[in-house]
This record gives sequence, C-alpha cells and structure tokens, in this order.
Amino acid sequence: MKKFMLIFTGTSYEDLGFSPEEMQNRMDRWFTWHEKMSAEGIIHSGEALHDSITRISGPDRVTTDNVAIESKELIGGYYVVSAADLDGAKKIAQDFPDYDLDSSVEIREVMEFDN
Amino acid sequence: MEGQSSIDHLFRHHYGKMVSILTRIFGLQHLETIEDAVQDTFVKAALSWRNHPPDNPEAWLTKAAKNRVLDLFRQIKSTKGREHIVGSSSEAMLITELFLDTEIEDSQLRMIFTSCHPKLQVTDQIAFALRTISGFSSKEIASALLTKEGTIKKRLTRARKVIKEQQISFKIPVGNALPKRLHSVLTVLYLMFNEGFHSNKQDILIRKDLCGEAMRLCQLLLKNERVRNSDTYALFALMCFHSARLESKLTTKNEIVDLKNQDRSLWYLPLIKLGNDCMFKAVEASIFSVYHYEAAIASEHLKALSFEKTNWKKIDELYKQLYNLNPSPMILLNRAMVKLQLHEFTAAYRILNELSVSDFNQRAYLYYGAWAEYHLEKEQIGLALIQIEEALKHVKNSAEKNYLLKKKKAVIIKTSN
Repeated sequence: MKKFMLIFTGTSYEDLGFSPEEMQNRMDRWFTWHEKMSAEGIIHSGEALHDSITRISGPDRVTTDNVAIESKELIGGYYVVSAADLDGAKKIAQDFPDYDLDSSVEIREVMEFDN
Repeated sequence: MEGQSSIDHLFRHHYGKMVSILTRIFGLQHLETIEDAVQDTFVKAALSWRNHPPDNPEAWLTKAAKNRVLDLFRQIKSTKGREHIVGSSSEAMLITELFLDTEIEDSQLRMIFTSCHPKLQVTDQIAFALRTISGFSSKEIASALLTKEGTIKKRLTRARKVIKEQQISFKIPVGNALPKRLHSVLTVLYLMFNEGFHSNKQDILIRKDLCGEAMRLCQLLLKNERVRNSDTYALFALMCFHSARLESKLTTKNEIVDLKNQDRSLWYLPLIKLGNDCMFKAVEASIFSVYHYEAAIASEHLKALSFEKTNWKKIDELYKQLYNLNPSPMILLNRAMVKLQLHEFTAAYRILNELSVSDFNQRAYLYYGAWAEYHLEKEQIGLALIQIEEALKHVKNSAEKNYLLKKKKAVIIKTSN
C-alpha cells in the first residue's frame, strides 16, 4: 500500500454565503465520504485549514500576512489516505463532494524512505 | 456520528435557537452582529466536522454557541446601549440557565412575537421570521415566497431598521396585548404554511420546508401554557390535516392531482390523528375562529373514504360559517363548488354570478375553472370548453396549465365517444 495526500483547493465556504441548511447539506456529503473511507480503514490523517495565509519567503525571511491569492486556489484542507496505486487514489478522490463548487483535488504520492 | 448522517435540519433549527438566545442576552440592537457570529459558527462546524465528525453534533453546537457569547461580550463591550439583562456578577450562571431547553424555547417565542410586531408590515414579518427563526437565506426566502432576492433583502433591511428605530423590545407581550399579538403571529404562520401548501410554483422540497417551519413554530406556541389558545390549536390542526395529504397532491412528475383523484391511501395517518387531538382541544372554546372552520372543513374531507362519500352537506354549512367570519371571494367560490357536489345547481349559479373575475387577481383561472365545472355538471360541454380556454389564458405556472390541458383533453375525449 502506498500513501497519497489529497489536497483540496477551491473557494472558501466562508465566501460562498451558504444558509445553515445549505451548509448542512454540504457537510452531510463530507460525512458520507468520511464514513466510507473510515469503514475501509484508509484514512491516515486529515484536517481543514483556516483561510488566512501568512507567507515567509526569501533570504531576508520577509513575512507577508493575509497573502492575497486567487480565491479558487485556496487550499481548504487535506486527507492522507492509503491506496494500492495512483489509480486507487484517483478512485477515492471521485467522492470528493465539492466538485460542483468548482473546487478540485490534487493528488500527491507521499514519499516513503528506507531506513 | 456512527454510520449515519447528521440530524435533519439541525443547522437550520439551531440557527434560530442561537440567534434567539444571543438576542436575549445582548438585545435586538445587536441582531446583525449576532447573525454574523452565528453564521460563522456554522462555517467553522462544517469545516471542523469534515474530518472529525462529532459524536453529538447538538452538544458541539451548543458549546460553540456559549463560546460565541463570550466572544460577543468582548466585541460588544465598547458599544453603548447593551440591555443589561445579564448582570456582570453572575454572568456565567445566567448564561448556563439561558441555555436550558425551556429558556431556549422562551427565547424563540420572544423572537416569533418580535417578528410579528404591528410596527412591521406583514410581508416583512414573514421574511424576518423565516430569516431569524428559521435561518433561511434571502435566496431561499425568495424562492419560497416567489419573489426576487432583492425584494427580500429590502424587506429584511426595512424590518431591522424599524426594530432598531422603534426600539422594539425582545419580549412576549403581556395582558391585553398578548391575544392581539398572538393573532398576528397566527396570521403569519398561516400565510407561511399556505405559501408552502397551496402554491404550485416551487419545487416540492421548498414547499415541505415552509410547511414544516410553520408547523414547528406553531408547536412552540402550543408548548407554552401562557401563550397558547384555542385558535392556536385549531391552526395547528388545520396544518396537520393539510400536511397529511401534501404527498398525494403532486405526482413525482410535479403534476397536480385534485382532491377527487388523490390516492387516499397516501394520506398520512399519524398527522391526521395529531390534528384530531388538537381539534378536540380547539373546540373547547366558546368562540370559533376561521382556523376552526377551515380545520373542520379539511377534517371532513379526510374523514370521507372516497370523494363520492364526502359529507358535502356538512362542508356546505361550515363554508357558510367561515364566510360569515371572513367574507372572501375565495371562500364563496369554494362554496359554489360544494353546491355543485350537492346538485344544488341554481344555488351554485347564483354564487358564481355574484363573483367577478376581478375578485381573483392572479388567480383568475380559478374563477374560470369554477365556471367550467359548473357547465360540465350541467353537461353544457361547449360552454365548459370556452371557460377552460379562458382559464388557460390566465394561468401562469406550468403545473396548473398542464392540469387544465389534461382536463380539456378529457372533456373532448368524453364528448367524442
């Protein structure tokens, strides 16, 4: 089994102006996905991220708070999951619930090192 | 959350609870800040629960609401005019008390009575109630009430402005003011329910939501001994009776099924029973309201094993009483239809002649439809078809149009055989 990180990008929920009912419907879809993966025992970890971005860059370690980026490019969260291969990871990512919001999933294989 | 999705409408209902409690603590003048804060809680919940579904979502939200109180204290501290219902010495204790179930219900009742304050226009009252108690977005309210989102936004702004300017207090009225205000609360709930039940324009989901919300709020009134009266019981009975046949009114293809052709086995018995129980309580009163008569009419229809076995005589009498209380053309039109069922054609003709199409505005097609029914019963097919054509000219939405077209087709087939 290999590990894959599924990285979610898209517009922040905060900016989409959902009503409580719509928000709950959204979340129920995430529950369904989470439960499916839990039942298969393939989740290693996963978190949701706050919207605000602080970036430190360059040799002078310049700090920029509240970095402005294209809102659709915002990373909202991630899961690390087990899959046999990339095709397996792609299959898992089919259930990502926010495609209809123009959000997307980036799949990256986690490097495993011999020690 | 083991192997199940979250509770139906949890967010929507919790929104109303949280907004009401926080308003009780901080006062109506901070309503907008409060609504934003509550909205924010749901965004946080949705994100946090994605990867870590809580065991008890309700408890999670309540805890979040309590935390909001503390945030808001900090946020609002600098602004003036806070209603000091929470004394600084025992704040923590009082907050705990306000989160008890009975107090939550009390807070929600205060919000219902606030939204029906006579200083607000009726259309604004409904929009404001759906927003603050039921957590509908402007878009959802617009599609529920068949208006534009911009119109709803204006109504909400106007309602908030009036509440602020008139310094309306967040209370359930007492003394003589209570029955008067309760009367407007019941009107708003009645309109909210009717919007869901009678309008054929929206999709079935939003219609069920509207009916469901009206019923939930009516139940809140019934739970409170000081507030409830026999009219409230009658209104709730009426809602139960109507809801019991909501499913049978529309096919899955969004086609209208009239009372005559509804599958009576689809009628939902538990609701009919609940409605009957409420009716027993409602008729203990000495004076009956329009809700009493409307509920009694609905109940007569439900009692009948088939359309043919309906007790039209009794329904006719009830419509007569109802008309005395509320002389509206719509009730008269219904009475004419009952007269047809009783084969009292002259009476039906007389009533229809009294009415004119201008009494019905948007619903002119109902007027022509009624005339068509009259002519059909009299076997004046040509005249009936003319009226159906007239009705078709005035009908706006597709479900109603299809219903009329189907009727026309049936008439033509019947006569050509």
